[in-house]
Amino acid sequence: MASLNETGTTVRAPRAPWLTLKRRETIEGWLFVSPTLIGFLIFFLGPLIAVVFYSLSEWNLLSQDTTFVGLANYEDALTQNPDFWQVIRNSVIFAAGLVPMNMALALALAMALARPFRGVVFFRTIFFAPVVTSAVAWAIVWKFLLQGDAGAVNQMLATVGIDGPNWLREPNWAMAAVIVTRVLKMVGLNMILYIAALQSIPRDYEEAARLEGASEWQIFRMVIWPLLAPTTLIIMVITTIGSFKVFDHIYLMTGGGPENGTLVLAFYIYQQAFEFFEIGYASALAMIMFVIVLALTVVQLILRQKGST
Amino acid sequence: MTRLTVRNLTKSFGKIEVIRGIDLDVADGEFVVFVGPSGCGKSTLLRMISGLETISGGELWIGDRKVNEVQAAKRGLAMVFQSYALYPHLTVRQNMGFGLKVRKESPDEIERRVNEAARTLQLDKLLDRYPRELSGGQRQRVAIGRAIVGDPQVFLFDEPLSNLDAELRVHMRAEIAALHRRLGNTTIYVTHDQIEAMTLADRIVVLRDGRIEQVGSPKELYARPDNVFVAQFIGSPKMNVCPVEAIRSPLQRAGFSTGGATQAGLRPEHLRIVDEAEGILCGRVSISEYTGGGALLHVELEGAPVFLVENSGDDAPQPGDIVHLAFSGSDLHLFDAEGRACHREPELA
Repeated sequence: MASLNETGTTVRAPRAPWLTLKRRETIEGWLFVSPTLIGFLIFFLGPLIAVVFYSLSEWNLLSQDTTFVGLANYEDALTQNPDFWQVIRNSVIFAAGLVPMNMALALALAMALARPFRGVVFFRTIFFAPVVTSAVAWAIVWKFLLQGDAGAVNQMLATVGIDGPNWLREPNWAMAAVIVTRVLKMVGLNMILYIAALQSIPRDYEEAARLEGASEWQIFRMVIWPLLAPTTLIIMVITTIGSFKVFDHIYLMTGGGPENGTLVLAFYIYQQAFEFFEIGYASALAMIMFVIVLALTVVQLILRQKGST
Repeated sequence: MTRLTVRNLTKSFGKIEVIRGIDLDVADGEFVVFVGPSGCGKSTLLRMISGLETISGGELWIGDRKVNEVQAAKRGLAMVFQSYALYPHLTVRQNMGFGLKVRKESPDEIERRVNEAARTLQLDKLLDRYPRELSGGQRQRVAIGRAIVGDPQVFLFDEPLSNLDAELRVHMRAEIAALHRRLGNTTIYVTHDQIEAMTLADRIVVLRDGRIEQVGSPKELYARPDNVFVAQFIGSPKMNVCPVEAIRSPLQRAGFSTGGATQAGLRPEHLRIVDEAEGILCGRVSISEYTGGGALLHVELEGAPVFLVENSGDDAPQPGDIVHLAFSGSDLHLFDAEGRACHREPELA
């Protein structure tokens, strides 16, 4: 806006700078989140949209022709293909075996290792080390240890007179073997989460309960366990989701066998896509897995909200 | 009959001795306060009595029973923690009934005793709330309620008011005193706040470095401290202490005998500002702190440390003013070279 100054010349009111503080902070904010945002768009949202598209198509890898088939791939999985339901059953068995075993062992280890004592760091490291060990190395070593009669596990069992099964060649034992070896690999992570939760519980609660006459079991059941509930819920959900997504372990130890006994969803998707080149069908399976994991996450959120109120 | 007897009690953590031979008798129904600076061992001593901390040496008797090796829950005690230690996942009713439940009391009996304690502490309307829904004072009352529900022989309080604001602390202090008058249980209370100790205690135990410095009624500790530490710890603002040598001449001129004492103590509230003719000590005001009802003066005496002087009324001297101070002989405390009180009435020479 123009005005006259004392000498009669026209002066303009100073224009507000374009780069206001608010605008500058907005730009800086976007710059800070942009690496994550770009990564999310390229590596998550893009592939997700592509999978949705391919799950509705028949994609011939050789001719590169893509034909829109609607929900046919889903229909095929849910109603036509008996393998699908066996895979789901295997995945549920895998999760049902792994989740309680992992959580119970993690909690027991955490209870033993939460309080400081001589050598506690050594034991925590021992149990956490498999988590950061290469999954490939872990699986190969266990495959070697679990070989039939030549395997170290069966040789040890033989020393006490037990004739061990051929762990990875019999369907039921193979499933048990991959569950147990997977638990041993991943239990350290949940142990650390439980240790953190236990250490955040004020000592006063335990002491107050002890003064009131509670036994160790009562203290655990009536004080510690309820206070661990939020952590238990998170651990349960992430472990369940992880168990539905297990791939490397199955691929390296059993290849889904014997007799499809360890054929779980993530490995089945891999097989369909990269062994049988059924990209459309594999994409539909991936979407089904996405829905299962999403449902588990929503359940977790609902339970957490209920818990906090 | 729930008296508590402590004989030569010691506690060591590794090579560090934190409680160094405590002897104490607490009478039935007495309210005893452990007071002392941070790290003096008062909370450790309380925890040893409670059974939450093991005893390294000596004997602890509750009534006629030696309890050194008795489990915490079987000593007949209840403790109120500084943090209240209310279980966040349980309601007030469940918190108060927790001890009875683990001891397998019948639901009817739990209900009756919780309701009775709730009535005593005016918690009736809060029974179905969770701790997070309560104010600090209400949580404190629930913690006390949880303690009284079990009908203990001895109450232990571990700095129970230190998480409350000043106003609420005064209120809760009065409630605890009233509760003790009503229930009459033997009570041991730990605090670092000497005002709390003075207002609540039948007897105060002053601790320093794991040892008892003095045991006595609040009045005894205030009027006849056994040593410089107690003299300065009890009373607020703390007692002025200076070498006798620094004020020997004015004391002699005023006719006070100091005997073999090497240190002299005067409480700020016992020093009066008077005319020059009546004055015993003379100094310059360096700071004048307005306290509402008066002022706290920092007075620089010649050859002595700065003395604090309480001046009531609105006519407080200003910084730079010269003031003359007087006191009565009975308010003069004398200590020997080791800081021990020279227990005799200061006399006119």
